[in-house]
Amino acid sequence: MSIRIAVGQGSCGIAAGAGKVYDALFAALQGSEVSLGVVGCIGMCWLEPIVDLYRDHTLQMRLVQVKPEDAERIAKACCHGDLSALNDLAISEEDAAFLTKQTRIALRNCGLIDPNSLESAVEAGGYSALRKVLAKQDGMTPEEVIACIKESGLAGRGGAGFPTWFKWNAARQSAGEEKYLICNADEGDPGAFMDRAVIESDPHTLIEGMLIAAYAIGAKEALVYVRAEYPLAIKRLHAALAQAKEAGYVGRHILGSDFSCEFRVKAGAGAFVCGEETALIESLEGNRGMPRLKPPFPAAAGYWHQPSNINNVETFANVSWIIDHGGAAFAAMGTPDSKGTKVFALTGKIRRGGLVEIPMGKTLRDVIFDIGGGIRDGKDFKAVQMGGPSGGCIPASLLDTIIDYKALGATGAIMGSGGMVVMDETTCMVSMAKFFLDFTAEESCGKCVHCRIGTKRMQEILTRITEGKGRKGDVELLEELCNAIKDGALCGLGQTAPNPVLTTIRYFRDEFTAHIEEQRCPAGSCTALRRYTIDPANCKGCTLCAKKCPVNAISGSVKAPHRIDLDVCIRCGQCMAACKFHAIQVG
Amino acid sequence: MSQIQITINGKLCHCEEGISILQAAMQNGIEIPNLCNDESVKVYGACGLCAVEVLDDGSGRPMPKLLRACSAKAMNGYVVRYDTERVNQSRKIALELLMSDHTGDCMAPCRLNCPAGTDCQGYVKKIAEGDYHGAVRLMKEKLPLPASIGRVCPHPCEQNCRRALVEQPLSIAFLKAFAADRDLESETYRAECLPDTGKRVAIIGGGPAGLTAAYFLRQKGHAVTIFDASAKMGGMLRYGIPAYRLPKTVLDREIEEIEAMGVSMQNRVRIGEQITLEQLRADYDAVIVAVGAWQSMAMRCEGESLSGVVGGIQFLHDISSGEKAAPDLQGKVVAVCGGGNTAMDACRTAVRCGADKVYVIYRRTREEMPADAVEIEEAAEEGVIYRYLTNPAEIIGENGAVRRIKLQVMELGEPDASGRRSPVPVEGKFELLDVDLVIMAIGQKPALAGFEALEQTRKGTIAADEATFLTNLPDVYAIGDATNRGADIAIAAIGEANRCAAVVDSALCGALKPYRAPFLSKREVTAEMLADREKIARCTMPTRPAEVRRRDFDEVNLGLTEAMAQAEAKRCLECGCHDYNECKLIRYANMQPIDPYRLAGQKNIHEKERKLGSIERDPGKCILCGLCVRVCEEDAKQGILGLVGRGFTTAIKPEFQDDAVIAGCKDCAKCVKVCPTGALKLLG
Repeated sequence: MSIRIAVGQGSCGIAAGAGKVYDALFAALQGSEVSLGVVGCIGMCWLEPIVDLYRDHTLQMRLVQVKPEDAERIAKACCHGDLSALNDLAISEEDAAFLTKQTRIALRNCGLIDPNSLESAVEAGGYSALRKVLAKQDGMTPEEVIACIKESGLAGRGGAGFPTWFKWNAARQSAGEEKYLICNADEGDPGAFMDRAVIESDPHTLIEGMLIAAYAIGAKEALVYVRAEYPLAIKRLHAALAQAKEAGYVGRHILGSDFSCEFRVKAGAGAFVCGEETALIESLEGNRGMPRLKPPFPAAAGYWHQPSNINNVETFANVSWIIDHGGAAFAAMGTPDSKGTKVFALTGKIRRGGLVEIPMGKTLRDVIFDIGGGIRDGKDFKAVQMGGPSGGCIPASLLDTIIDYKALGATGAIMGSGGMVVMDETTCMVSMAKFFLDFTAEESCGKCVHCRIGTKRMQEILTRITEGKGRKGDVELLEELCNAIKDGALCGLGQTAPNPVLTTIRYFRDEFTAHIEEQRCPAGSCTALRRYTIDPANCKGCTLCAKKCPVNAISGSVKAPHRIDLDVCIRCGQCMAACKFHAIQVG
Repeated sequence: MSQIQITINGKLCHCEEGISILQAAMQNGIEIPNLCNDESVKVYGACGLCAVEVLDDGSGRPMPKLLRACSAKAMNGYVVRYDTERVNQSRKIALELLMSDHTGDCMAPCRLNCPAGTDCQGYVKKIAEGDYHGAVRLMKEKLPLPASIGRVCPHPCEQNCRRALVEQPLSIAFLKAFAADRDLESETYRAECLPDTGKRVAIIGGGPAGLTAAYFLRQKGHAVTIFDASAKMGGMLRYGIPAYRLPKTVLDREIEEIEAMGVSMQNRVRIGEQITLEQLRADYDAVIVAVGAWQSMAMRCEGESLSGVVGGIQFLHDISSGEKAAPDLQGKVVAVCGGGNTAMDACRTAVRCGADKVYVIYRRTREEMPADAVEIEEAAEEGVIYRYLTNPAEIIGENGAVRRIKLQVMELGEPDASGRRSPVPVEGKFELLDVDLVIMAIGQKPALAGFEALEQTRKGTIAADEATFLTNLPDVYAIGDATNRGADIAIAAIGEANRCAAVVDSALCGALKPYRAPFLSKREVTAEMLADREKIARCTMPTRPAEVRRRDFDEVNLGLTEAMAQAEAKRCLECGCHDYNECKLIRYANMQPIDPYRLAGQKNIHEKERKLGSIERDPGKCILCGLCVRVCEEDAKQGILGLVGRGFTTAIKPEFQDDAVIAGCKDCAKCVKVCPTGALKLLG
């Protein structure tokens, strides 16, 4: 049996050079029997490009950080069937544990199947749940589907964590001729990319989940609102929908049943607020993306004011598994409050960054240290930011917090969509809060006062603190603004915008104080607060720093210790980089 | 639809099921603050001002989140409040945020600088329109003596007039006198009084402060009696200001008007002589002390007790009261010490009494002189000689009477706390002047005999609270020159009297409400911003020639003609917001104390634009409530306006920023009508 080669080609793999690796392999394999294919993203970002070698559907070897110049010998080894020649490219046991320690449901096919092939999906079990639901005999009624989802305990994975069955049921119960099923694929949190991975790697699982949901609520039309910044996801989704339609999974009388459902894909133009469900609906209708007042909730009056249900990609990706395995199997995982698994996008100063799916109830330490391998470059862990601009940061002292909606909420952070940005000792927490406020202030739709002007003012206060111009009382003023914005903003974006600030103040208040009262950044990251000095004991008077300085801030005679005029210094750090004697210090 | 019950701020309200909490409140006569709501358009929920707290959702439980009353449905059994600490805080922050990005002048700078807050822009506009009674009606909302004050006021309003950035300030004070004279000549405007309350107020002192307090308290229906030690009412206006500036007939007419409202006036009553403060306290519900500052301050130089040394106020009083014959100063030399308006009044009066030579002794230079520039000039025209940079060192007498004055020569040193360069003696340098009369006009302080029960400041004035005007006695208030910082200009005393009247009225009605300065939005305007304005010279008040007027006490000014007044009034730039009285934003901003300056940051600055038919847009005042956009689309069915941009830089512009859509504007002005601020204005 010959070997099959699969190159991981998610956006991230392609960015790391997977396309070139594929081309090189394609050229090298000309005339051989070895087949070459594409899979989606396995979620091990630090190892891209990744090439998997299969024999009989069994993974023989996973090659990592493959370069185009490796293609020749990979081709040779595969043709000869002797893979030991590739041992140096094989994934280490330690890195492989990144996957083996996970429990994958939503990501179950990601990186394992060809996202462009319906057969590949069906082979992996695709559409079996749909068949089960729509079977002429012993099929499931919509109520039974909802009951199964209720039993599973599945909650919205987009951030709010609202029970999925409840929303489905509300939409089902709502009176209305036309009902709509909407998928929120406007993944906007900085650092979150699991939805993109699912669409790029396993689009049929999303389509199947949506079909089952459409059936449950009684919708004849399904819409996917996916951000235009995900061109590959849009392309693969369109292709998958065409295949599904051709095969009778989408369209009229699906699988011969009375259930019909058409799909539409809408590319969102990149406003963060359009990830908020009512703003998303406004945008779908062709209006300016601004949130609507709730109530009425979309289940009662959504798209074109008809009953609508919105879930995000990861939520839908769980649905067919639950139908296949039963609600109880899903509910068996997790904690009393939070069932099943959750996908996290692990980024930042982490050794092994990527997509991690684990059962609820594991600790943050499990994810960051056991799976993620801890902090890069031997530095100390400082905090993890969860839930993006709506979430908060959690300090080292709370690393044993379990992954559970309530437990994470108690820290001031949220589960959110699953972005986990890991920070080390060199991260300034004030700058971190400012980063997120820069983001929300920029992304505010401008409708309500609290968010439009409030986030702007918070951003201004944080900016002046990082520039050493903070005023006494600024922290209290920030807290006052945060609380008022939480209470007063119109939509979830505004109401949660203060969270990154509130949690950084809660856990790192002394860092704010150091900036304001001592004009000092404890992490040494705020440029405006850096003070470069020359240690006369180490300075040899080589004049190199003075020559490198772009603003002539350094003076001194040859072979005599130099000095830096801090009034002129622009804190570029070129002197420090140039000094061969470690004479330049920064504080 | 079935009827439901909901309790809003403690009031049980009945309404139909299905309406919002805001609608339920409105139907029951309750105003929950809101800026972005209007019945003609769909609910929007942007401003956040209508936040309410549900203390009981009908099942005995409170709701964790604040609700927007505009969108939340009223549910049977709801107990709702819009004045809880949490709601107030949310609304306060919303208003502070809105105001931190609001660029506009609620009030014109002239009005802001008037110590009595008179609506200068308002009455100037009425004058421009020829509506003099209307102008006086506006004036009398703040001061009851416009004809008098228009003549004598040093007009701080004009100091701040933005027309000065174009060429010269408006002649606001003379315009006031012009309109008030016209009003007195014909059917005089008289304010209505509320029905009698049965409360009695005694006012001690019938000067500008006392008269003003009486005027406003009488309007509220209280019985007011003014007690004054002099023969007639008017105080300093009568006895301190010479007739050539303020003819007493004008003052008499304005006092008659106050008396006609039913204010009782008792003259020749001096506290401690005819009646005591204790008696008044016993007989009246409130007592206001407004006795002025009648005692000239001493110069602390030798010879002050010589005969021929008099206080400026005493000198002016003696002449204007007619109680003593005007002194014949023929052939005499007079030295007036001081540089304020009292010094001017004294020196010009001395000229009119026939003095041979009149000197003004002032220790700084003309630049620092506090008197009105016009006064200084007119006195010079009348022959007064200024001796700047001199200070009385000693008054030298012969046989107990003044013979000479020895002057210390001064020079200017470093600026002092007031910013004026302080005079320093030039050591050993003196001058001598032969004089017969020395008039001390360097300041006044109150004479407080009979008021021993009242606590005093270190300056020897009555100590009164700045916000309640209360003295140490619970029912005794004090205002004007006799209090705190001491003597000031008449309009300052009038402003205090006006505010004090409101406080006293509130106390008489059961709950004393201290005065709180309103929050007002202000903007900076530079000369460059007004560069396109046509330059029009300020009118000049016609006066009688110096040679003629210096011989008598007839009025120096001849008054503006109607043509002059109207032309002058039309120079007004109308700086204050046209919508101030109707503006919901500023009304809500004053419902509770706010401090937007603590949130000061970047502001969106846009110029006014006139793109829509006859509608002028001032984006600086826009709060992005979206009402104009929505009413244009939903009600007028035009869709001409749209929201552009995101976040803080969001702005209202023609839809899709396409100026071509503006052509569709039908001037229906529905947008102007719904705008909660002065951002939209229909041009006449």
